[in-house]
Amino acid sequence: MAAIEAHGLSKSFGGRPACRDVSFAAERGEVFGFLGPNGAGKTTTLRMLAGLYAPDAGSARVAGCEISPGRPGGAELRARVGLLTESPGFYDRLTARENLLYFAELQRAPQPGRRCDALLDRFALREHADRPFAELSRGMKQKLAIARALVHDPEVILLDEPTVGLDPEATREVRGLIADLAAGNATIVLCTHHLDEVERLCSRAAFIAGRLVGIHEIRRGNLVRIELAEPFQPDAVRALCRSLRVSGTSLFIEPLADVPEIVAALVRAGARVAGVTPQQDRLEDAWLQLLAEARAA
Amino acid sequence: MMRVVLRKELLELRRSPVLLLSMASLPLVVVAVPVLLLAWLVHAAPEQALASIKDLYDVHAPGGPVVAIGGILAVKWLPMFLVLPIFLPILVAAQSIGGERERRTLEPLLATRVSTLSIVLGKSIAAMVPALAMTWIAAVLFCAGIDAVAGRLLLPDAAWTFAILVLSPLLALFGNAAAVVVSSRILDPRAAQNLSATTVLPLVALLVFELAGRISLGPRFYFALAGGVALADLALIALAIRLFDRERLLTRWR
Repeated sequence: MAAIEAHGLSKSFGGRPACRDVSFAAERGEVFGFLGPNGAGKTTTLRMLAGLYAPDAGSARVAGCEISPGRPGGAELRARVGLLTESPGFYDRLTARENLLYFAELQRAPQPGRRCDALLDRFALREHADRPFAELSRGMKQKLAIARALVHDPEVILLDEPTVGLDPEATREVRGLIADLAAGNATIVLCTHHLDEVERLCSRAAFIAGRLVGIHEIRRGNLVRIELAEPFQPDAVRALCRSLRVSGTSLFIEPLADVPEIVAALVRAGARVAGVTPQQDRLEDAWLQLLAEARAA
Repeated sequence: MMRVVLRKELLELRRSPVLLLSMASLPLVVVAVPVLLLAWLVHAAPEQALASIKDLYDVHAPGGPVVAIGGILAVKWLPMFLVLPIFLPILVAAQSIGGERERRTLEPLLATRVSTLSIVLGKSIAAMVPALAMTWIAAVLFCAGIDAVAGRLLLPDAAWTFAILVLSPLLALFGNAAAVVVSSRILDPRAAQNLSATTVLPLVALLVFELAGRISLGPRFYFALAGGVALADLALIALAIRLFDRERLLTRWR
């Protein structure tokens, strides 16, 4: 059973649509990416999944809790979901530990003091625990916000722009933390506009630009690009490939058979092969292609 | 859960010396001005001034001019002590929702399991506790000051006791609930504070008319006021909880 199932989620504010018809499913333990430009509706979708907004249309099931129009999901949903908000949002005059403890108690975390200490240790914040939040660096604030999202040990973790505004060192540290989380069993939805972040951390990504444009599987296996001298329909080699995508005179394949065997089959079918190069699955290409398809439709 | 919110709010307040100082400044003035005025009248004012004040308020009480004027101050200044429990919680409560929104803490707060009622109650009690404490300390100091200058026990009388012990908490609840209602609708905490503060205007008007000798408020008035404020409190609390719509609080700025 999927940890998150969304069917046609739509939301508008004051008659202006923020997102529409967002459908996807994320499996337990999966790191699922939300990609899209600023204002595309990623945060709105995330807030619906966190139980902060009720959708205008559509429905979702998050960690077993239902979300539907007029029913944003109650305390039970919020107990099972951890949300990293776009801005850390803590109380400046309270210390890092006091802030974390406050949210742990609001989330009714068992043994909140111990839980906070464990998280402060895990995020290397122990020595800064008694400093007022206002005095922490941006990276520390973000790590504390991630710790808050985990303080009640949620089944689903929603991360909204976890590295925005961070310097390269802090970005690397936060990405490392997310990778550690991904190694656990929690389901993570990572909302960002950084393609490389999704490429590194996610297994699949949904492209959102006001609506769901498409869902792309991120493959880290061997992808091969076969450059042809002229456009050609490669039906003859489909059975030899796990996946095959045509872009102009380029074929992007995930081979099931040996590459020379596939090239030979193409040549036998009449294709003029100009070159063969190993290729990384570039999310950017997929994003641009999906956008182009969406515009053409 | 309400206790968790309350404890955090009080901790934040304790670490805000400027806010506490600004809260304490009004009670300080409310106590010091009339006591010093009475002391000046007793020791330095000419007989004519005393006579004219007695004429203005039509006071012919036994015990000499100082006791008469002390008695006048005791009665006429009471509405000012009713302004305090309304005004002081507003300084804190008007920040309650708008302040959370401004500091970007509202979204993480609403994403937790805490109920709307716990948030509203926790924040309300946190605003009322210091306001009532300051009002009661100020009242004790005022009574002691007036009695000391007059040289006899003038205060507290029945009206004062009722007003400070019964009416003050009701008015504090009123000011706080009004501030929560305004704060949940107005984005800017400063604007919310200013707008909420207008709730003290009827009491200030009463004070002005009382000091001008146009009206004389007695125990009956304070009993009736307590009943009216209690009803208004219930209505405002219900409204505050109804207006505290989690989604609307997050999206209204859009």
